[in-house]
Amino acid sequence: MTSIPRSVSALRLPPVLAGYLTALSRGLLALLLPLGLLLLWQLIAEQQWISPQLLPPPTQVLDSLLELYSSGELASNLGISLARVLWGFAAGSAAGLLLGVAMGLSPRVEAYLLPTFKAISLVPVIGWVPLFILFVGIEESLKVLVIAKAVMVPVAINAMKGIRNVPVGFFEVARLYRFSLWRTVRKVVLPAALPSLANGLRLGLSNAWMALVAVELLASSEGIGYLMVYGRQLFQLDLVMATMVVIGVVGLVLDQGLQLLERHLLTWRNSAY
Amino acid sequence: MSAIGTLSLKHLNKSYPVKGQPLSVLEDISLDIQPGEFISIVGSSGCGKSTLLRLLIGLEDQFDGEILLDGQPVKGPSLERGIVFQDHRLFPWLTVEQNVALALENSPLSEADKRDTIAQHIELVSLTGFEKAYPHQLSGGMSQRVAIARGLVNRPRILLLDEPFGALDALTRAHLQVELQRIWQAEGITTVLVTHDVDEAVFLGDRVVVMQPRPGRIKRIVPVPLPHPRVRGDVRLAALRDDILADFSDAPRETLIEQPAPLPQRFEDFVLAW
Amino acid sequence: MSQNISKFDPRGLVVPLLLIALWWASAHWGWADTRLVVPPLDVVAYAREQFVSGELALGLVASLARDLAGFAIGAGAGLVIGALLALSPLTDRLAGPSLHAVKQVALFAWIPLISVWFGQGEPAKLVFIALATFYPVLFNTYEGIKSVRRELAEVTRVFGFGRRQTLLRLVLPAASPQIFAGLHLGLIYSWLGTIGAEYYLKVAPGVSTPLIDGREHFEMARVLYGMVLIGLVGALLNAVATRLEQRTLRWRPR
Repeated sequence: MTSIPRSVSALRLPPVLAGYLTALSRGLLALLLPLGLLLLWQLIAEQQWISPQLLPPPTQVLDSLLELYSSGELASNLGISLARVLWGFAAGSAAGLLLGVAMGLSPRVEAYLLPTFKAISLVPVIGWVPLFILFVGIEESLKVLVIAKAVMVPVAINAMKGIRNVPVGFFEVARLYRFSLWRTVRKVVLPAALPSLANGLRLGLSNAWMALVAVELLASSEGIGYLMVYGRQLFQLDLVMATMVVIGVVGLVLDQGLQLLERHLLTWRNSAY
Repeated sequence: MSAIGTLSLKHLNKSYPVKGQPLSVLEDISLDIQPGEFISIVGSSGCGKSTLLRLLIGLEDQFDGEILLDGQPVKGPSLERGIVFQDHRLFPWLTVEQNVALALENSPLSEADKRDTIAQHIELVSLTGFEKAYPHQLSGGMSQRVAIARGLVNRPRILLLDEPFGALDALTRAHLQVELQRIWQAEGITTVLVTHDVDEAVFLGDRVVVMQPRPGRIKRIVPVPLPHPRVRGDVRLAALRDDILADFSDAPRETLIEQPAPLPQRFEDFVLAW
Repeated sequence: MSQNISKFDPRGLVVPLLLIALWWASAHWGWADTRLVVPPLDVVAYAREQFVSGELALGLVASLARDLAGFAIGAGAGLVIGALLALSPLTDRLAGPSLHAVKQVALFAWIPLISVWFGQGEPAKLVFIALATFYPVLFNTYEGIKSVRRELAEVTRVFGFGRRQTLLRLVLPAASPQIFAGLHLGLIYSWLGTIGAEYYLKVAPGVSTPLIDGREHFEMARVLYGMVLIGLVGALLNAVATRLEQRTLRWRPR
């Protein structure tokens, strides 16, 4: 598929060096646009073409990011947010796995539960927030509940699909060797469905992060989303933007971390990983 | 200087860069093909026979040596050369008729002539009545017939076949070989068939070019001096087959396959996410 | 996907009916806080009232118009930019990484910034809905075009197709399943974005109003009505998109 570009091979560089050169040129090209935009942004802000209240200069955003960090505010608020994500993710993925595996293994369970599950998942998380607030108030349990709902849906769906897509032949092999149910699940179903399960968990985690931000914006007095609300109320856009950067970076780290784990666990699927 | 459909290869050499080093895949291939002749090229995988076909059709244009069709050097793809690939490569969103018509996109024919020639070629491959079918409704053999009609519809000077029946079951394959013989005789077109099936090569070819791998080169050229249409089971064919098979008596070298790229995520995984 | 829809299995009704019975019973005999567990019929009555007074139609029209306008902007941008990135490697290398980086910011984290830049009114809502739609459409368009089989591209080369012909005859049809999938996903996200925009930005007529008011006045019936409404509209949008997709992609197996 990927033949070496002619220009590079013609140069007859050692392949490693040629690889570095292409990577370097790509990296520079990728930085061109953001750097240009940053420069333009700084210029606009410095010349006050747009009020700094609406567009604080990038340097100011960086300053408030550093200040958030050095004052310890970032660490404490991020810690609170991550703890919420952890609990919500744990609860949601446990419920999702249980539901998904049960529905995947048993057509009867699916017949009874899937329509209800679909109805629940049809209402987006934001739609559930008022109901949850009325039931549990706006304290920690609200956040965990909202995040758990956001996590449960993709985890359950992917678990169910993963199991449903295990080739029938594998089950026949298990029956041939008279595997017990537990052994079949452990030796056949789980390994075969693992890629799909992992996919669901990854989607769940990214949903968890999104739901956390959503719920903290609505009702919270601490946490990363609250920092944004605070910055917005004081009209400190630099704080808002700094928080957005943090949210982006943490989201990326969470996703990449899980992806790394997935690759580690699923080496049999594709050794090119 | 010659009738239409003369193909001549002169000292063809082709190499790919692999990890910065050139790896020779074809070495000094020379061959003259007469108008209307049926040439089979047979060899084990990795002998460069498919690469050779890609050079002839013009999908690869980096090589040393000369390829002349009726005295003119081959450069890039052209409607004068038709091809049938192993994986039929029909466009799944087009019907049988539209797939054949695809080959006529850049043809100078009038719309009416195009319609006529499409119908003729669908008839030639015995698929009349299936014009409006989509590829997913066709069996492997039917798909390959459509591909043959598509390859011939421009009335090219030569037809190239790249293991066209390699993915079919044995019965369908045998049937299509007879069909191909009939079509070739009806059209009288110069044909080059690449295959790893020695039976097929001997059954269809006027001459069989036996290739050797690493690097790919011609080991020998075996004439099959029997008139067409041929009958399967002819002892003379069997004797030639056994003779050629003796060339492949060494066990093939075992290697691990390359990893394919990971599949993109499916859409359905997302639908109910929120 | 489609064969599940056509076959109705009454076993699926058991759990919802049990839940409603439990709900009715606990409201009837006062097993739980009566403010939390309102009688099911209250919800029905509220829905009727909304329907008769025209509030329902008003909210629906407002939300759907908002949703479709935001979807059109976001999907249009996603299609154009996705196609551009997939067809031009230079553009891809220039802008691709930046777009990926911006995507990392969770959707709702844009709300405060959008509210400062575009205010709380309709423009801000459209921007948010368009943003929610943009990325799924962008990535699926990009992936769809990128995954056009090289083997089929060779066929067009053999037939001497030019750039335009290849684009119209090969690339767009081959990518269309995934492009439609992206549009479908974008439609679902735009509905999520609509609810989010109505919820976080200044209140305006729409389907989320019962949710917001119901929570403020602690009226469970209103909240439940709002949830059902949102779910039904979402299901409807999904069904319409699925139908359109199937109709356009009839050439696909199954």
